[in-house]
Amino acid sequence: MDLDFSPEQVQFREEVRTWLTEHVPREQRPEEPAGMREFDLGWQRTQWEGGWAGIAWPEQYGGRGLTLVQQLIWYEEYARTGLPGIDANFVGLSHAGPTLMTRATEEQKAFHLPRILRGDVVWCQGFSEPGAGSDLAALSTRAVIDGDELVVTGQKIWTSFANIADHQELLVRTTRGDSKHHGITWVICDMNSPGIDVRPIETIEGGAEFCEVFYDEVRIPLENVVGGVDDGWRVAMSTLSFERGTAFTANQVRLADTVEKLIDTAREHPGPDGRRPAIEDDEIARRLATARAEVAALRAMTYAGVCRNLRTDTPGPEGSMLKLYYAEVAKEVGRLAMDVIGPDALRLVSRWAPGGGWTGNYFYSFSQSIGGGTSEIQRNIIGDRVLGLPR
Amino acid sequence: MDLLPSRDQLELTAAAAEFFSEQVPIAGIRARRDEPASLDTKTWLAGAELGLLGLSAPEEVGGSGLGLDDEALVFREIGRALAPGPFLGTVLGARLAVLAGRPDLAASMVDGRTAVALAELRDGSVGPEGLGGRLDVLDPEGSTYVLVLGEDGAALVETAALGDLEPLAGIDPGTRLASATVGAASAACWLPADQEPLRLRALVLASAMLVGIAEAVRDQASDHAKNRVQFGRPIGVNQAIKHRCADMAVAAEAALSQTMFGAVALQSGRADREFQVLAARIVSSRAALDGASANIQIHGGMGYTYEHDAHLYLKRAQVLDHLFLQRTDALGGLLAQAAAQ
Ligand SMILES: Cc1cc2nc3c(=O)[nH]c(=O)nc-3n(C[C@H](O)[C@H](O)[C@H](O)COP(=O)(O)OP(=O)(O)OC[C@H]3O[C@@H](n4cnc5c(N)ncnc54)[C@H](O)[C@@H]3O)c2cc1C
Repeated sequence: MDLDFSPEQVQFREEVRTWLTEHVPREQRPEEPAGMREFDLGWQRTQWEGGWAGIAWPEQYGGRGLTLVQQLIWYEEYARTGLPGIDANFVGLSHAGPTLMTRATEEQKAFHLPRILRGDVVWCQGFSEPGAGSDLAALSTRAVIDGDELVVTGQKIWTSFANIADHQELLVRTTRGDSKHHGITWVICDMNSPGIDVRPIETIEGGAEFCEVFYDEVRIPLENVVGGVDDGWRVAMSTLSFERGTAFTANQVRLADTVEKLIDTAREHPGPDGRRPAIEDDEIARRLATARAEVAALRAMTYAGVCRNLRTDTPGPEGSMLKLYYAEVAKEVGRLAMDVIGPDALRLVSRWAPGGGWTGNYFYSFSQSIGGGTSEIQRNIIGDRVLGLPR
Repeated sequence: MDLLPSRDQLELTAAAAEFFSEQVPIAGIRARRDEPASLDTKTWLAGAELGLLGLSAPEEVGGSGLGLDDEALVFREIGRALAPGPFLGTVLGARLAVLAGRPDLAASMVDGRTAVALAELRDGSVGPEGLGGRLDVLDPEGSTYVLVLGEDGAALVETAALGDLEPLAGIDPGTRLASATVGAASAACWLPADQEPLRLRALVLASAMLVGIAEAVRDQASDHAKNRVQFGRPIGVNQAIKHRCADMAVAAEAALSQTMFGAVALQSGRADREFQVLAARIVSSRAALDGASANIQIHGGMGYTYEHDAHLYLKRAQVLDHLFLQRTDALGGLLAQAAAQ
């Protein structure tokens, strides 16, 4: 075992660091949708032009053709810039992209993948429905085949960035049979199609990138189906394994920097007694140290996960362990910050504000154990598939 | 960068695991409950023969010249098997002897002739001249030396120089405990901390044993959850049980990853080695203690018996959690470090 990066990887890190210092966006990300879209796509375009888009994607689709180790290095260096992560490019880069790469036809790949990397388009994920959240396979948004089109009617919910997206990875029910897992289809939906109505939902953080989406006889060409009509569950499972496997690497890496920033804050900020710095409070100090130990372990698990992924293409159920551990640590860090800042905890500061807002981050932390499969569902997966417990 | 065991390492750990399961079954802890030594000499020498005491020792003293990662992987098996006996003290003692310029002594430790017990200084001090004060000694029976870690370094002191040892009732049936009060005893070897931080190495190996315990209780609890039937179904279908097992699995995985990270960081002399090792100790202690406690609960009444192994995991985890560094000091020490590299 070793923790050494090869000379090429070390040089890669140097290049990333230099480039990021010069190119990272300095202005605050706009909160209104159109400005946010422009900001996120603009940043993706800058990365593309600099040759940093799709580091671990194959060259034939516009990527750099490097490994997850270089991707990890990028995330580590990006985290050092202190910028928040998850943005409108997340679904395209971490879900739709990898899913298309493993399941789509060459034509679909050639069309969509470079557009994602270039920052031309925003993707969103239309999986969850009011009646199908954790029980995703219970989804009931209907699609009937009419000639060479699917005609979709129904509703999705919690669709992040649907209000600014061009494409959607959409799960629809094409056949209602004995098994709820059969008869689902994974299809690429053009969000500008007639019959689509997107309504924003305000979140706990105050932002409105979360939406519900209504479909009224929306016509989607059959050629947009990925992986075959009625066979979408298998495609969706590979999407989710990417989500639980590698998609959160950026978040995991960033959490370590968040903890360091919190420790710095605790050194300067008056603690519960209003006089001494927060870090001199024994309870806060121990929780900070515990958080430090846990994010160290999270990083070690992430490294081990990257090594495992280098040995197999599609992440296994181990990804759920990483996702669960990350979510629980992220929530503790969010809450600990509220204790560290004491009376300042009353002031709402967005996590996108320069320097980062602890209160915004606290509310955001709650999403980490819900989105991408709740922590309870991850525990089910670990129990069933890692430990082989009875269902 | 590679944090997963290599093929060679998998073979090495499989051989160690086989030795322990065949030669040092956990039931032996109960069987030897009233013996003066927690492990019999024949098995101890067989372990030495297998090379367990010299994994990271140089070949000149009969060792295998392997890395701390290899050694940690084997100590994970020792923890998993709850193997009793002075493995930790003797392996660390051999390291100390090599670095202090006593290859002869190291060689006799590697081949099992000279056992080293661990001693925790309760009050008093230890330095290049020797030690004075009150000590708790673990598994002193048959040992020639005790290993004492101090602020400034580590010493090997002859067990005979400690005078009369007063046996104490210990919490762990697999670890003998005694106390000694020493006016002055000279050090046979002294290793200054700035030459090598032996305490960090000790923490890595203890963390690895805690990882082994965390994994063992995860597996024992999961097996029981699959097989124990109540209300007509295996208890593992209930999420109150299943999710606890899942939490044990995650904690064990985190502890394993961080312990290996710490082992490699220490071995390669990374600037943040102390940070990484302290983090390893903190997460592995928690994984083992929480896991061992949950395992008892998942076994119900059976988990509360002496006859079952569940309490043995808990007790060994408590012993390891209190060795070399108390938890509050580990937390304080970690917070005092510069950020990780
Ligand atoms: C920030 C964020 C972004 C999201 N973005 C998207 C997106 O872009 N696209 C998309 O499709 N979805 C998205 N989601 C939706 C997300 O995937 C769902 O919220 C999630 O899968 C849970 O579904 P639910 O909300 O219906 O909750 P439910 O499934 O109704 O769960 C409610 C509670 O019951 C628990 N529960 C449910 N079933 C079980 C069980 N079997 N055992 C134990 N406990 C159980 C859950 O853990 C939870 O605590 C997002 C969610 C969040 C928070």
